[in-house]
Amino acid sequence: MEIDRQKIRMYSLLGSHRTFGQVALELPKINEKVVVMVADQMSPAGLEYFRDQQPDKFINIGIAEQNLIGVAAGLAKEGMTPFVVAQASFATGRCFDQIKINMAYMHLGVKVVGLSAGLSIGQYGATHMSVEDVALMRCLPDIVILSPADCTETAKALMATAEDPRPTYIRLSGWMNCPIVYKKDYDYQIGKAITFKEGNDIAIIATGPMVYNSIKAAEMLEEEGLSVKVVDMHTIKPLDTMAIDDCLSAKLVVTAEEHSVIGGLGSAVAEYLAPKAIKPPHLIIGTNDRYVNAGEYSYLQEQFGLTPIQLKNQILTNLK
Amino acid sequence: MTNLEKYNQVMCDSLQVSAEQLPGLKYQDVELWDSVGHMTLVANLEDAFDILMETDDIIDFSSYEKGKEILAKYDIDFSK
Amino acid sequence: MSVINSENIAKQVRKDIVELTYKAGTHGTHISGSLSAVEVLSVLYNDILRLNKDNLTDENRDRFILSKGHAGMALYAVMNRVGILSDEELATFKDNGSAFHTHPKMNVPKGIEFSTGSLGHGLSLGVGSAIALKKRNNSTSRVFVMLGDGECDEGAVWEAAMSAAHFKLDNLIVIIDQNQLQLDGKIVDIMDQGSLADKWKSFGWKVYEMDGHNVADIHQTMTEGLKKMTGPTVFMAHTLKGKGISFIEGKYNWHIGVLTQEQYEQAKKELEEV
Repeated sequence: MEIDRQKIRMYSLLGSHRTFGQVALELPKINEKVVVMVADQMSPAGLEYFRDQQPDKFINIGIAEQNLIGVAAGLAKEGMTPFVVAQASFATGRCFDQIKINMAYMHLGVKVVGLSAGLSIGQYGATHMSVEDVALMRCLPDIVILSPADCTETAKALMATAEDPRPTYIRLSGWMNCPIVYKKDYDYQIGKAITFKEGNDIAIIATGPMVYNSIKAAEMLEEEGLSVKVVDMHTIKPLDTMAIDDCLSAKLVVTAEEHSVIGGLGSAVAEYLAPKAIKPPHLIIGTNDRYVNAGEYSYLQEQFGLTPIQLKNQILTNLK
Repeated sequence: MTNLEKYNQVMCDSLQVSAEQLPGLKYQDVELWDSVGHMTLVANLEDAFDILMETDDIIDFSSYEKGKEILAKYDIDFSK
Repeated sequence: MSVINSENIAKQVRKDIVELTYKAGTHGTHISGSLSAVEVLSVLYNDILRLNKDNLTDENRDRFILSKGHAGMALYAVMNRVGILSDEELATFKDNGSAFHTHPKMNVPKGIEFSTGSLGHGLSLGVGSAIALKKRNNSTSRVFVMLGDGECDEGAVWEAAMSAAHFKLDNLIVIIDQNQLQLDGKIVDIMDQGSLADKWKSFGWKVYEMDGHNVADIHQTMTEGLKKMTGPTVFMAHTLKGKGISFIEGKYNWHIGVLTQEQYEQAKKELEEV
């Protein structure tokens, strides 16, 4: 499916969760073995259309994430490609053991779609803030972790993983009227980071909603005379280490994610840089290992220092 | 084409309704004006008028009449 | 004829379990939970499960999932006695790096459908398999899942049970090895389940009860029950943990057991006398 300008804007208006509901309609055309399972999340993901149009490929398992993964694993063993949908926190946390055993140990090709990852529905409080999901998934062998930067990339990632046999976690973040990073269709490959813009002084390796925020921060930093590279690390595992190698000559490497500073993209990059004798300093930006009270998405980003201006300020402070 | 004609045309095309159905038409009155159709409508209006709408306005846009009020905020003059 | 065969297999498997446990030395094995499952597994593999030993990946096969994975030793011994695992393969049980260790590891060419060992997972896997079979219009294959009663503490079991009834899975069968003990003690003392049979019934399952150590009863109850399936069905096998060895029977602290030389000789003697 080609993604035209109209689709791009529509997806961004819908937000990544409902983009999934739209793109899901295309997935069986890419891979006829695709089935979609939800843990009572059909409405948030806009999957009513899928249910109505492809009822034999749709299963609602109710509010039961452990069963969600287990049943999906059974379907995968019998040759299907199940996309399973739940809120990111619950999709990774409540059924971690099932993901570990069925997907990491037995390599059954289940695709876990985590809705509203990060802070986007933090108005419901910390129970609905998902800032530990990448850390959980990263420590499981052989699970591919995708973290699209915007809704265009969400569509690309979903279509790419539909024809990829590997067990995968796709972290859908951002909210409705999601800022657009990719204004037209482009070449997307799982595992291959995209350098959105080049620069020499600072390299920002970002993922999810922080890609857009990093682009805006980079614009502000460039007004102050700095040359800033922004990399969209849309695949957190397997990490594109060549893209990180290309940042080694920067004065400062920054990672930015709407996720804890512990265990996510920042940690993954730090793990890669650790044994290198010569490397730039690395500033890890993310949510700083605490929960805050409920609030709107923009308020929460600000609480954790994740807005573009705050990114810019942290980077400048660190440079001194 | 006047702004009003443009607005009406986008509404009719996006929601598959006739011009007669427009006055008083509200979100969810017709099948195509559901949560997804709403975004298609907004995207088409943004395209037609070369604007980008704010989230609050997108959510507030609940009827044909309200839509005109909201677009006015983006300097769309319906008298022209 | 098949009942006698199953009885003979069960006798042999009990002896195998003793041998394998002694061989495991101070590491011990999950001997008692394996002993309680012997008759059911023997009847399943000798009689009930439709398996083609020459092609264990046949699409039309029955699928068997040992959700109480710690009874892997019993499973391997039964599979050996019916000709699926070779003597050499069985002899590698619990060797370092062995494909046949405590908990079954997925090995589809050998008929081991899934890796189990984390309790509470197997029924969901069975539900998924059963749904997939129905979607493919495979009305031949059935999915059998063996659970322990202690395992039914796990909430995941009930998520799966509820969904099985919701999806009307008349190709899904559970057997509960109801030996009334768990690791720390008697089930009634640790986490009283009340009437487990009633709970399955209230979740929409057809419930049968059987003497889990009486091969003829298992054979008859299951054969009849399987003919009449209109939805997911559970066979509660009333068993004794450690069945067959006097100093282990009914003792909760033999969940993992080590056999001294003396105990090994005693166990062998008791099994010879049967």
